[in-house]
Amino acid sequence: MSLSFLAPLAAALSVLLVLPVLAHFARQTPRDRRSFGAMMLLQRVVKRLRRRRRVKDPFLLLLRLLAVAAVIAAVMGPDWIYSGSAPEFGGSGRVVIVVDKSLSMGLADGGRTLAQQAREKAIAVVEALPAETKVGLVLYGDEAEVITPTMEADPERVLAALKDLEAGYGGSNLRGALLAARRLLAGVPGEVLVFTDEAGTEMVAAAKPEIQQLLEGDNTVLPQVVHAEPPRNVAVVGATYGEGMEGGQVRMTVANYGTAPIEVACEVTLPDGQVIPVFAAVGAQAEVEKAVTVPPEARGGVGRAWCDDPDLPMDDSRYFHLPRVGASRVLVVDGDPGDTPIRSEVYFLERALAPWGGVREGLRPDVTTPLGLSNLDPDTHRVVFLANLADPRAFGPRLTEFVRKGGNLVISLGDNVTAERYNAALSQVLPAPFRKVRDLAAPGEPGVPLTLPDTDHKLFSAFSRGGRSSFSKVRAQRVMTLEPYDESEDVHTLLEFEGGVPALVERKVGNGRVLIWTSTFDLGWSNLPLQAMFMPMVQRMVSYLGGEAGGGGIRENAFVGELAAVALPDVGLEPQVMGPDSQPVRSRVDAGKVLFIPEKPGAYTVQVEGSPPLASVAVNTRIEESDVRRSSSIAGVEREIRPDLFARRVDLSPYLYWAALVFFTVQAMVSLRRTA
Amino acid sequence: MRLCLRFLRKLGSLDAHEPTQSPWNAVVLSRVRHLHLRARVLTDALMMGDHRSRRVGQAIEFADYQEYTPGMDLRHLDWRVMGRSDRLVVRRFETETELPTSVVVDLSGDMSTGDRAEGGFPSLEGSKAGYAITLAATLLYFLHRHGEPVGLEVIAGETPFRTLPPRSHRNHLQQAFLALAAAKPGGVAGLQAALVRAGSHTRRRSWVAVFSDGMEEPAHWLPALGAFARRRVDLSFVHLFDEQELSLDYSQPSVFFSPEGGAELAVDPAAARAEFAKVVAEYVGEVRDGVVRWGGRYLRASSRDPLEGVLRKLIVGGPLSSNVTMGARGEV
Repeated sequence: MSLSFLAPLAAALSVLLVLPVLAHFARQTPRDRRSFGAMMLLQRVVKRLRRRRRVKDPFLLLLRLLAVAAVIAAVMGPDWIYSGSAPEFGGSGRVVIVVDKSLSMGLADGGRTLAQQAREKAIAVVEALPAETKVGLVLYGDEAEVITPTMEADPERVLAALKDLEAGYGGSNLRGALLAARRLLAGVPGEVLVFTDEAGTEMVAAAKPEIQQLLEGDNTVLPQVVHAEPPRNVAVVGATYGEGMEGGQVRMTVANYGTAPIEVACEVTLPDGQVIPVFAAVGAQAEVEKAVTVPPEARGGVGRAWCDDPDLPMDDSRYFHLPRVGASRVLVVDGDPGDTPIRSEVYFLERALAPWGGVREGLRPDVTTPLGLSNLDPDTHRVVFLANLADPRAFGPRLTEFVRKGGNLVISLGDNVTAERYNAALSQVLPAPFRKVRDLAAPGEPGVPLTLPDTDHKLFSAFSRGGRSSFSKVRAQRVMTLEPYDESEDVHTLLEFEGGVPALVERKVGNGRVLIWTSTFDLGWSNLPLQAMFMPMVQRMVSYLGGEAGGGGIRENAFVGELAAVALPDVGLEPQVMGPDSQPVRSRVDAGKVLFIPEKPGAYTVQVEGSPPLASVAVNTRIEESDVRRSSSIAGVEREIRPDLFARRVDLSPYLYWAALVFFTVQAMVSLRRTA
Repeated sequence: MRLCLRFLRKLGSLDAHEPTQSPWNAVVLSRVRHLHLRARVLTDALMMGDHRSRRVGQAIEFADYQEYTPGMDLRHLDWRVMGRSDRLVVRRFETETELPTSVVVDLSGDMSTGDRAEGGFPSLEGSKAGYAITLAATLLYFLHRHGEPVGLEVIAGETPFRTLPPRSHRNHLQQAFLALAAAKPGGVAGLQAALVRAGSHTRRRSWVAVFSDGMEEPAHWLPALGAFARRRVDLSFVHLFDEQELSLDYSQPSVFFSPEGGAELAVDPAAARAEFAKVVAEYVGEVRDGVVRWGGRYLRASSRDPLEGVLRKLIVGGPLSSNVTMGARGEV
């Protein structure tokens, strides 16, 4: 609010204010004469009073000053300028209707969604437009959708589009919508009516440049806000399966955007249809995380976390990936069943993988003889340990294919292993051909120790907090050497003995990996199984190969309305994308990737007809759309850019004249009363 | 009363010293009668309950006996003692002393404010001058009835007698009454000179009562009270004031002027009242302290105060208290 004087020169009249002051200071000579016997005392008083002359009747003086001041101010013609509401609609003859159909517009308020309210308002506006008014329509979610390519005098097309309007799952691309509106206006000034809920923290701020462009083009942006008061919405804004390949929990995050605490019933639906109920109490404008323990056995796939919220049901679900749980995914091929436990690799491996027999945690590997490799199923087992297997030649092609498709192979050596057989069978997956068995120490000597690992590598990252030094206690008397090889993007030496002899070498093949431990997993060639780092290293090895770096089924995440890309293992495939309702989704293949735009949340699969799914895609809504609170407004942005558009002016002169009249009247009455 | 009038008629043949106005004025005579009446009534009120007779010139209070020695007055020989014991003893009495009293009345122009009576005389009620006159007349009458010599000294004003030295005879009181009844306030008091003059011819060990508003600079006239102190005179200063004046109780702004002349002042009483009250308080304190400093007794009286109360205050505790008796009624 501000006050501006239109006639500053009239301020010279303010000297008139001095007159009443002078009048009240001036002393009139009294008419009465009075004989007084104490003149001596009166003279003393007068001497003192002359030092401080007082205003006579300050109340009357105030009234007169106010009266004169009011007249002066009225003559100066002051205006009261204050910041009012948005400019009024009408008069331009060119109107673009912009309607928000983002997810947040699905919020129900008073039995109707905000989108329905906006639709009715927009229809009413369009129907009330004068006959010659040209009108255009832009709808927007993730992208702006121009319904009328040009401004049209006939509103029928606009009305028809509006009647079908419903909230979608997309975001709020207001900036794109305003850009489309500006293009529709084609440089001719017009009015842009924006029907939106102004929800979220970024929509309006992102549209600020476009609002500025419109205003600079002498257009008017008129926000027509529909919103629920108070805002309320409960949404599942996060759902993930616990880290690790086996066992764990699904952690779901429930957010309450309302102004009151709320208690909601939620549930987690696993890919095999199991439903686990959970109850969440969420504070006002807060989030809470709930953990759901997955049953001992569960099928892998895309699961759903859901909470019951009738206000905005479209964001109540969040989809997440769940690996296969429960069944062992590790196969140990026992190539040398030892006569005693300490001479058996499987004995040490089983205890390293499941220290308490798999009762509390860890995993129980499937142990098989070499013949078990004939039934190798890459969908079942992700990691295969070849423990001192004598002759893999019969299974070479199968193992190679297993690795290419995403399986992982760990080879530990021993007395049964011969370089020639392995080189013949697995030459395509070995980091380098085996050379020969080499003694690192004489019998009775402690052997050559390992060097310390690089804890920046994912496999050894867990040892950064402790246990790294125990690697130096591993000593090997004998190893299988490899032919010389070069470090490359696919081949890495992860551990080596002192002197530079490789101890653990990795090679990436296709979607899988191969790890070679050049000594034994029992006490034959080294003391590895007796060291403290053995058990965590084996478990990290399984996690590294099967849970994190390992492939298996491709898992991708995407958002509704945004392009989803899934890399194909084989460029020659012609996959198909199936939606949550098992219906094909429009897709294309480009540069070895399947591309598609999901229109609603859910579990999508990429598959080749007649084969298991190549990939699963969990599609969710953007959590920004769930936040239905208003943090900024279009009108506020307009006020920042063009405050003059919101300025309202009131001429104060008549009021001041009236005030002067009142003051004059009151002072006259007071003066008469005093005189009487 | 007839005696008084006869005296006044006789007085007319006497040569009054520097009379300013003929005392044979009906108004003056009426005022004398009125003044006399008021003085008598007030004195009767003061002496209510006093039945002791008055014996002038004789000591009446027995003191003790003394052995007779030749040469002593035989009238005081106690014959009864001689008859009983053959001893010659003489009775001795306490001798009463007289207290010459002078009343000094200020009748300057400033004392004239207030009500006026017929002929331009100050009203005996409602004016400082009238109040002072009545007070003086009553005190003179009271003392005269007790046989004390009384005198009068008038400061300023118009009066047939300026000074009457203390005398006891009856005519002297009548002269004082005539002077007071015929007095009109006016002129400038000149308190300093007047008090010095009065002090110069006051008898030693007498009583002087001053009735004045003291409306001159106290620092100027207060030292003149030393003239009385030097003569060991008992001094009572009755500070007269008019309530309306000292409270500046006037509703309208007015031009104030002094009857003694001088500059006029246009004053809004409402605006000056608070400050005036401070000045009055300072002034009264200054006068009181000055009087007390010179050994005097200070009494403050409003022209509206009952005369009896003021007189009672004046007499009780003063030099008269051991010589006169008073009735119990009207104690203040």
